[in-house]
Amino acid sequence: MGEREELYRLPREELLSGGHQGISGYGGTIAVRQALKALGPNTVIVVPASAVATVGGLNTSTAWRIPFVHSLFECAPAMATGIRAALEIKGKTGVTLVSFAGDAGSADIGFQSLSGAAERDEDIIHVCYDDEAYLNTGGQAGGTTPAGAQTVNTPQGKPTGKKDLLSIIEAHGAGYVASASIAFPLDFIAKLRKAKERKGFRYLHILTPNPATWGFAADQTIHIARLAVDCGLWPLFEVEDGGRRVTYAPVRRVPVADYIRAQGRFRHLTGDQIAAMQAQVDASAGGGR
Amino acid sequence: MRMLLSGNEATAHAARLARIEVFPVYPITPQAPMINSIVGFIDRGELKCAHKRMESDHSALAGAAGASLVGARAFTASNSQGLALMHELLFYTAGLRLPVVMAIINRALSAPHCRFPDHSDAIAQEATGWLQLYCENNQEVLDTVLQAFRIAEDERVLLPVMVNFEGYILGHTKEVVEVPEQEAVDAFLPAYSRAVVDVEHPAAINTATNGEIYMEYKYLQHRAMQGSLTVVKEVNAEFAERFGRDWGGAVELYRGEDARALLVAMGSAVSTARIAVDEMRAAGQPVGLLKVRSFRPFPADEIRSVAAGVRALAVIDRDIIYGVGGALHREVQWALAGDAVHKPVLSYIAGMGGRDISVADVKAIGQDVLAATEKGSVPMGAHWVGLKADLVGEAK
Repeated sequence: MGEREELYRLPREELLSGGHQGISGYGGTIAVRQALKALGPNTVIVVPASAVATVGGLNTSTAWRIPFVHSLFECAPAMATGIRAALEIKGKTGVTLVSFAGDAGSADIGFQSLSGAAERDEDIIHVCYDDEAYLNTGGQAGGTTPAGAQTVNTPQGKPTGKKDLLSIIEAHGAGYVASASIAFPLDFIAKLRKAKERKGFRYLHILTPNPATWGFAADQTIHIARLAVDCGLWPLFEVEDGGRRVTYAPVRRVPVADYIRAQGRFRHLTGDQIAAMQAQVDASAGGGR
Repeated sequence: MRMLLSGNEATAHAARLARIEVFPVYPITPQAPMINSIVGFIDRGELKCAHKRMESDHSALAGAAGASLVGARAFTASNSQGLALMHELLFYTAGLRLPVVMAIINRALSAPHCRFPDHSDAIAQEATGWLQLYCENNQEVLDTVLQAFRIAEDERVLLPVMVNFEGYILGHTKEVVEVPEQEAVDAFLPAYSRAVVDVEHPAAINTATNGEIYMEYKYLQHRAMQGSLTVVKEVNAEFAERFGRDWGGAVELYRGEDARALLVAMGSAVSTARIAVDEMRAAGQPVGLLKVRSFRPFPADEIRSVAAGVRALAVIDRDIIYGVGGALHREVQWALAGDAVHKPVLSYIAGMGGRDISVADVKAIGQDVLAATEKGSVPMGAHWVGLKADLVGEAK
């Protein structure tokens, strides 16, 4: 089946309906839309403080067509733990339970509860949607912000590198770990479908570029997301029961400079600095990790 | 059945009898023996419940909130640092109107580090929207945990409840406790199932709000807390009828007959004060005791009416609000503020960090308050009972 045909066969139903308040071109809401195609209506989603927590609507209106729980910042996986325990004790089977957290709610302030849930092998899917900065508060740097990126509180560029949360969760012994990109929706959806069929703790990490904080035009989101994969900085892979598989390998990697030069947050980087980044990517086998 | 139980064990039996369904918890001294007891019940098949071994107190209450959203009866336990860590979750649980019950085995807060009891941990959470009940002995602990679920789950309330008892003094001390039969508890406390999160009926929980509805939401929460006073009393009365033990509802007046002055206390100091009052009465001194069982909701009207016949009160606080004094004293003064007749309300800070509150301490307070009925005025500020003057640089 061709890609186009596969796309046509996706459910038409939008479980985050039109009229939501996500800003134009924001990768986070694109990731939600793609994810819900795989997750389906029998899903409970827990979202901590983050951009996606507030896009659903204000006061008594909501765009969510599945049970949506806005948790506190640190504890989406912990709330999901309680929800799953209650579903089980009440005999409610067949419910897909997702904690859908941003990079702060996963890698930083939310890391403790994420690590706890992974270690206990809770029966939940955690999706980290990673926009590499704290968007709700104006784009401050966080643990997953890459080295060199200018943010409102790292105006000279972030001096330290991106926290590798995928490896950290893999080291917890999670049964299923995968990276994903909104530019590769079928890859993401296939991974979520695979995760959905499994039990225990499953972790997906999807890169969700944001026009305002990354510094590109709102119609370039998918293009930027694709460049991140095609230049080798954001490889697509999955680790299933310890077995690693690259799920997409670019036929020819594009230069890292193409990705870097397309974004305002890296505008201050010198040619030497970009060459060093290129060397790092080249050193990792096949552009994978 | 009569059993020899610590406060921790009495709580575990209450949790078993209440058929709690989800128990997310994080160990903290001196609450940990309760976890072991409850896990034992689950292991032996005496309780069908998911014990979730959480990675922090914060996550423990998050887990309880999640379970409650699905309609499961959720229970947890904590104190001091753990309770402080839960702080934002306390507002969250109350704001979502989730009937979670939590045992607080009261313990002092750091710094300096101290694992021994006082009430400052729960008092610091007074504004979070939880009901707070305080117990004087282990029988009351068991009975109050059972009552707490009934109160919390009442449709007129739907608020979380803390059941407080001091660590070690009650938490680790064994007393004879009457453990009710399961059938009797089932008749008192029916199964709970109020699912808010349900894939058949999708709803958005905790959407973003603004000034358009937030204020009304908070008003309803406040109204529910005020209204819960009636439910606290009703549930206590029904419990008394079914089980033959009456803990007074929100307040209990002990030896109030012809009292000229009242001692006011919460928690285990109440049982000590009963002895002190008995001895003073035997010596012909007209002192009564007002036990405050419900700190939230605060039974201001009842206290005002009980105090109507006395000329002075003395409030014993096992807590401190820095720069203000004892929390219970502040509340009692507020309760009496509308009275036409001004009466002195003396303030005592006692038993902080686990220091003993003795019968002699309470009797000395009793003498003070009787003297105040003559003088009609009191010194400003709180008296710290048994304060070591040399340690605070106030030695004569």
